[in-house]
Amino acid sequence: MEFKDYYAVLGIDRSATQDEVKRAYRKLARKFHPDVNREQGAEDKFKEVGEAFEVIGDPEKRAAYDQLGENWKPGEDFQPPPNWDAGFEFSGGGPGEGRDYSDFFEQVFAGMRQRQHAPRGGAEFHARGEDHHARIVVDLRDVFQGATRTISLRVPEIDESGHLNIRDRTLNVKIPKGVSEGQTIRLKGQGSPGIGRLPAGDLYLEVSFKPDQLYRVSGRDLYIDLPVAPWEAVLGASVKTPTPAGAVMLKIPPNSFQGRELRIKGRGLPAGEPGDLYAVLKIVLPPADTDKAKKAYEDMARDLAFDPRAKFGA
Amino acid sequence: MTEKGSPNHHPEIVEAGATMTLDELCLSCRVEAGWILELVEHGAIEAIGRSRSDWQFSHVTIVRVAKAKRLERDLALNMPGVALALELLDEIDELRSRLKAAESRR
Repeated sequence: MEFKDYYAVLGIDRSATQDEVKRAYRKLARKFHPDVNREQGAEDKFKEVGEAFEVIGDPEKRAAYDQLGENWKPGEDFQPPPNWDAGFEFSGGGPGEGRDYSDFFEQVFAGMRQRQHAPRGGAEFHARGEDHHARIVVDLRDVFQGATRTISLRVPEIDESGHLNIRDRTLNVKIPKGVSEGQTIRLKGQGSPGIGRLPAGDLYLEVSFKPDQLYRVSGRDLYIDLPVAPWEAVLGASVKTPTPAGAVMLKIPPNSFQGRELRIKGRGLPAGEPGDLYAVLKIVLPPADTDKAKKAYEDMARDLAFDPRAKFGA
Repeated sequence: MTEKGSPNHHPEIVEAGATMTLDELCLSCRVEAGWILELVEHGAIEAIGRSRSDWQFSHVTIVRVAKAKRLERDLALNMPGVALALELLDEIDELRSRLKAAESRR
């Protein structure tokens, strides 16, 4: 187990006042809140900051941590000394339920947690299980093929003795064909188990797409950059263009220009009314790396009265 | 722990068209009806229907209410703060997708 430097996590000095601790925490919490910050790693950072504040933000735990931490460096292998917390009074207020903490926190501060009680016996108690929410990142290709993906969720659970455990849960999820970015999909009965006779809650997954190497997504439409030679753009051509549902021959009209968008109807994201695929022309110049190629350019320069800067006047 | 040999789950897409009652929404998100009422009064979520007794909510509201609950809990926001945060997050999403579309056309 590694020692965690909670002061470094919060970016504060060991001598920071409780007010300074609170300010630092609030600022970081806003910055890394997973609903606010979509960057990868934001959620882990948010949890880390929350854990640090649970300790440093609480004067009793902070005092214990300070005594403990004097001789430790972050990342060092760590075992808490026996009875290290003797002499400190903890007025309850242990970690909130359903959060997940580092091993370091679990080992050092788990003892201060209030035991949570299961519903008492006696009258029968029924409640529908809670719905859970998570995010899922899918490949564009899965949306087309409706592939089955395995997702991992970390589920906090209270065991019989009232301890909080984090269980890694793996689910095989069939990605519904044609789901679009920002949409939510529901897995019935995959939330918290129900109590008594009532059913389990549902699991809601907010879908976002992994950036694709070829295609960009805009609503239901897709965009792809299509490289073409200058003569293909100018004279017109028929070129093979990839689409997620297989390559097609795309007709390039004569006198096409850089950035022209050619629509391939119905080749966007699948749906009742499927989106379209737009091929965006990117004109690529052939290098003049042989005498022959050089000559072709020289011929063009001589034969075409072409001024690309005509618009500048003068 | 991996649930080996676990069945494949076939999720359904949550459609904006489907609706649910106030009770169902409260149950799903584990919040009080009064808290939902506040969200509606601050314009953070939309209720369909004239009176509270026949309110319906679009199914996608669940995600929004869950997000509101997280923001309130994690950032100690009050209700106007939650409403403002949701609105600004909507705007950021909108701008991001416009930026993405504009980049596609470049």
